[in-house]
Amino acid sequence: MKTLLLYTALTATLLEAAGPVKLLNVSYDPTREFYQNYNAAFTKYWKTKTGTAVQIAQSHGGSGSQARAVIDGLQADVVTLALAYDIDVLSSKGRLIPTDWQTRLANNSTPYTSTIVFLVRKGNPKKIKDWDDLTKPGVGVITPNPKTSGGARWSYLAAWGYALKKNSNDPAKAREFVTKLYKNVPVLDSGARGSTTTFVQRGIGDVLLSWENEAYLALNELGKDKFEVIAPSISILAEPPVTVVDKVAAKHGTADVAKAYLEYLYSDEGQEIAAQSFYRPRSEKIAAKYAKQFPKIELFTIDLFGGWQKVQQMHFNDGGIFDQIYTPGK
Amino acid sequence: MDKGLYGAPDLFRRTTGLAFLLAMAASIAAAQSDDQRIKELEQRVEELDQRLRVSDRRKELGDENAATKARTAPVVNADGPFAIRSNDGSFSLRFGADLQVDNRTFIGGRPLPSTDQILLRRVRPSLSGTIYKSIDFYIRPDFGQGNTVLYEAYVQFNYFRWANLRVGKFKPPVGLERLQSDDDTNFVERGLPTLLVPSRDIGYQVSGDFFKRKLTYAVGAFNGVPDNGLSDASPSRHRDYTGRIFLTPLSSDKHTLGIGIGATSGNVDGIALPAFKSFGQNTFFTFASGVTSFGHRTRLAPQAYYYYGPAGIVAEYTVSEEGFQKGSVRRDIAFRSWQVQASYLLTGERKAFGTLSPRKPFDPKNHTWGAFELAIRMSDFSADPGIYNYGFATTATTPSHAHEWVGGVSWYLNRMTRVTLDYANTNFGGGAVASAGGNRPTERALIHRFQVNF
Repeated sequence: MKTLLLYTALTATLLEAAGPVKLLNVSYDPTREFYQNYNAAFTKYWKTKTGTAVQIAQSHGGSGSQARAVIDGLQADVVTLALAYDIDVLSSKGRLIPTDWQTRLANNSTPYTSTIVFLVRKGNPKKIKDWDDLTKPGVGVITPNPKTSGGARWSYLAAWGYALKKNSNDPAKAREFVTKLYKNVPVLDSGARGSTTTFVQRGIGDVLLSWENEAYLALNELGKDKFEVIAPSISILAEPPVTVVDKVAAKHGTADVAKAYLEYLYSDEGQEIAAQSFYRPRSEKIAAKYAKQFPKIELFTIDLFGGWQKVQQMHFNDGGIFDQIYTPGK
Repeated sequence: MDKGLYGAPDLFRRTTGLAFLLAMAASIAAAQSDDQRIKELEQRVEELDQRLRVSDRRKELGDENAATKARTAPVVNADGPFAIRSNDGSFSLRFGADLQVDNRTFIGGRPLPSTDQILLRRVRPSLSGTIYKSIDFYIRPDFGQGNTVLYEAYVQFNYFRWANLRVGKFKPPVGLERLQSDDDTNFVERGLPTLLVPSRDIGYQVSGDFFKRKLTYAVGAFNGVPDNGLSDASPSRHRDYTGRIFLTPLSSDKHTLGIGIGATSGNVDGIALPAFKSFGQNTFFTFASGVTSFGHRTRLAPQAYYYYGPAGIVAEYTVSEEGFQKGSVRRDIAFRSWQVQASYLLTGERKAFGTLSPRKPFDPKNHTWGAFELAIRMSDFSADPGIYNYGFATTATTPSHAHEWVGGVSWYLNRMTRVTLDYANTNFGGGAVASAGGNRPTERALIHRFQVNF
């Protein structure tokens, strides 16, 4: 027994001497505040559970850009990106994770969801209520570039889905609608945070197509006397996924803690922090607790378009529909 | 009833009232028109404001993109060495070249040891680079003197500063002056001790440094080329094991002292025999016919340099003892050589073992002339007398001793361009008695070199 205690003490001492376990979470733009809070909670949880200190660094940017950075060598132990396609490429192009990565955690590895809403200036001077209002002449619409931003891809598809539903699934009408909408986009930022800067700080445009959590965050931080959130009649269920980057985590020896880090997102505490950051929790219990803060919107999923692979190829790859309908600077 | 001023009160009143109403209507219309105009102006101002903001934001995003691209864009370096590298330095490709044009003139009585000539001593383009941050490669052929020879081709793995692995063809770590770059030696040709160490060999080497580079080491296993030799094929099934340790206990802006020793050991059965050349690149030592290498070879090469400001001294001693056989006679023969050389930079630059950068590169329009250096060298070579006793060489053709002194002046136009004029006097002894005077005639060589390297 003495030997065991001595061994345990020695191991603990060695672990302490080795310093904290370090994790890098590579994420997309609007999760900064959420993961700051979540990391603090997980660090405390992990220390209590295992006695091991863990130090978590964050990296944020446009979701597509972040995925490319990881493929190019950014040493992410975990990725928490805006959409599944951006993680798929870590498998197909980077060979960093298995192809079935999405089956490893519940809800297709999407521990929280969100949607796309409108952020308008106080008083809603352009009387923007729904998607149709975004195509009117003289309305400035702010949204990032869907080729680099996950949030922008969700926004684009939300508009496309709305037009499909309104026009009996006529793709030509949907294309015409989205083309008109993007004619009202004066500036394309590379990420959601950049678009928020354009709209909020630079005072450009009449409406920001925003992640729901980003819109409420802006509202809370900048004042309800300056902006309003408008919930459209219909929008898309955005499902940001997460996964361990197996090859990097194995190299760093962080696979276990990385897995635990993502699993803890599904815990009550993880879900609660997500809800407090205006992400829609997957947990029914937590969702019920925070139901009042989320407007009721009819939500459709990516399945409406046949999945991300099809969507990416048709709309966002070079030469795709987005390239055809949007002319930069006009 | 009031008839009014002109006896027509109703008409007057009606006219006045109408005029008043018209004036009021005009006034209201004017007011409404002003409001409309103001609204339109406000709208225009707002539109212009938006356009201005959009323009500013686009510029801002353009600047951000440019900054991002600058952070990740490849860097092209045209300031020598010419190179392209990834922004983080993990990948690079460097182009180099080494061109030396020599004018050799031999002075003295006839017959001259060689024909005066202008020749391309070295024409060595090089391609080198780095992949994945820690893996270097280097490829350098030579097209000089009408030959095509691969001088260097190696890969080096630099994961640990204290233990880098180099694999391929390169200079084995033995002789001091041999390890100095061809472009940085004080004279156009190296001293006699370099004849006794390998030039290039194929093998593996582990090297590293400790104590802030005050101690460097290298150990390796090579095919085992003849003295001063290089080969692309293994001369025997044996290997040469090589090691060198070098200390720089004094290293400051003022002076540098380096001292070390290199050594090799290996069997040499059946390898090619060396032939030794003088400063003028004339072969003065060859083995007799029927001689072969046999047994073991050991080389030992203590070495040192000391640089103090513009002055420098380099000294090394090399002994190479190798087994030879002719018929049934087998003996070990030792070759010994030493050199001492001193140099002084007249223009005051700090002398070092590496490349010199003139303080004021040559630019006649601005009256700057580069750097000038004087250098002298004494060097000696001798073979064991047994070389004749056992029939390994013949006294009729081969001297067993050579002694040279060299004086030279170098003009460094810039870091990449150098002009050197050397005069070397080499006396031979102990052999070649069939020649006039009993010994091989003294070689007096004047060599003038133009050199460009980057």
